[in-house]
Amino acid sequence: MTAGTAGTAGEKDGVIVSVTGLAAAYRVRGEDSPALAGVDLRVDAGERLGIVGESGSGKTTLALALGGMLPRSCHLSAGRIESCGTTVRGAGGETADAAQLRALRRERIAFIAQDPAASLDPTMRIGRQFSLAMRAQGTPMTDAAIDEALAAVRIERPDEVRRLYPHQISGGMAQRVAIAMAVARRPQLLIADEPTAALDAEVRTEVLGLIVRLAEEHRITLLWVSHDIPAVRRWCTRAVVMNEGRIVEEGPVGTVLVEPEHAYTRQLVNALRAEGTEGDGR
Amino acid sequence: MRAVLRWTLTRLLIMAVTLLGTSVVIFFAVRQMPGGYESVVLGPLASEEQRQAAAERYGLDQPVLVQYWHWVTGAVQGDFGISLVSQVPVIQELALRLPVTVTLALMALSAAVLIGVPLGVLTGLRSTSRSGGALGRTVAGLGISVPEFVLGSVALFVVSSVASCFSVGNLASLSGEPATLVRALVLPAAVLGLYCLAATARTTRDAVMNVLVEPHVTAAVARGETPGHIVRHHVLRNASVPVLTLLGTITAYLLGGAVIVETVFNIPGVGSYMVTGLGRHDYAVVQATVLLAAVAFIVINTVLDIAASLVDPRVAAAGGRR
Repeated sequence: MTAGTAGTAGEKDGVIVSVTGLAAAYRVRGEDSPALAGVDLRVDAGERLGIVGESGSGKTTLALALGGMLPRSCHLSAGRIESCGTTVRGAGGETADAAQLRALRRERIAFIAQDPAASLDPTMRIGRQFSLAMRAQGTPMTDAAIDEALAAVRIERPDEVRRLYPHQISGGMAQRVAIAMAVARRPQLLIADEPTAALDAEVRTEVLGLIVRLAEEHRITLLWVSHDIPAVRRWCTRAVVMNEGRIVEEGPVGTVLVEPEHAYTRQLVNALRAEGTEGDGR
Repeated sequence: MRAVLRWTLTRLLIMAVTLLGTSVVIFFAVRQMPGGYESVVLGPLASEEQRQAAAERYGLDQPVLVQYWHWVTGAVQGDFGISLVSQVPVIQELALRLPVTVTLALMALSAAVLIGVPLGVLTGLRSTSRSGGALGRTVAGLGISVPEFVLGSVALFVVSSVASCFSVGNLASLSGEPATLVRALVLPAAVLGLYCLAATARTTRDAVMNVLVEPHVTAAVARGETPGHIVRHHVLRNASVPVLTLLGTITAYLLGGAVIVETVFNIPGVGSYMVTGLGRHDYAVVQATVLLAAVAFIVINTVLDIAASLVDPRVAAAGGRR
């Protein structure tokens, strides 16, 4: 199969993401700094997978690679990525072209960014950018449909919010708008990279609950990159632990994040216990 | 919308206060120049009686505030007084020279907008490619670093010795046809336009590059939007505020008279009028031309501040602190 072609076999089997032997490095001052080293990952349809690990462990690089969103400074040196039926990178190093990657991101993968307010265009009203995003996908929405989508993420008076600019709404509301825009496109895979990092604790729980509820409601596979182990334990079904560009442990959250086998995971979990922050994901 | 309205009213109020302050500064600064009105009109050998008579004639024997009031109310009505040297009303001279300066300004500005902005957008979008980056840096570097008088002198030499299609120094008389005026202004406008074009291209390029790395553009890329869609909807508008500000400054500078280019090319515009007035201690002319330049600068910047708040609502919300 050539890069970019649909891997229908995987989808039939219910596999949304398949990564084999993936290696990536960032070019820093003329030298390669490894970010991923032989990562193997499989995500099944309907799963809620949490990727945890320290900063620099390769979580975000892996998530971006799935949608062909790596920055220019990062290059893939080995491995194969298949996301939602598109071969982003083949085993021989062949890569999907720009149009194929755009189609993948437009139709099958949605990203939710860390900073919700910054991910909205500051010069455009909420309704206009919602409408433009949907039109770009080929599924235009009426104002009433946009209001409905905003109401689904528990935004009160959506018709008023639709007419506001991003700087006129709170961070929590901006994240709800970003979630509504992502979910309205009905993706197969929702990648949320630290989606609540910029929010306070109370809003964080509400937003995480919202993402999980919508993912279940619309049968969207959720891949959630996070530092927040208690929250991953609460909201995800399976966890992957990364360290220095490798997956060191993976399995059901009840096993991996409660009774870890790998020394690094034990260290992470014990650190939480020692800090007394091992709550219920709030 | 209320924020934009409040911002607009505030800017208009600030503009009025600034105009008033500027008129005061100009009036009193001109009176600090060496030599008085009477000396300019009568010469150094005039008797005390003659000086007294001249002072009465020009109202210089009245209190300074009364003089200021007469000058500023006259200026509002278009009466800038009489040139002490030529004894011709300044407004008459300005009426002849302003069209020349405005035509020159429009021609130079056209280069900035029609070439500089697209060039800046293009090089900004291609800044990561070697050719795009080099093109942007070369045009901006050349245009900005070569002084106007050097470029003007070189252009004059080249055109007068090689090309005869452009007339050089044909504007000594202001009674020519509009076509003649435009033809005579092509070369100085090109020299002036190159600077404006380079500055605009560089600012546009930097603005586009800054917007391209903003998270909302990354979010649009993540939604699979096409590059054309992203540039049209999410880049151009966001990048336009610094470009608008620069174009405002350039326009005000050009309308106030491009002094160097007008002098090098012997163009009878507002800028050269001011230089001549300064050389001859013709205070009425200096006051009028400096006031005109200041008014152009203040009004255009106010208009562009208001335009910026319409383009980017955060400008009005932050009260211009961005």
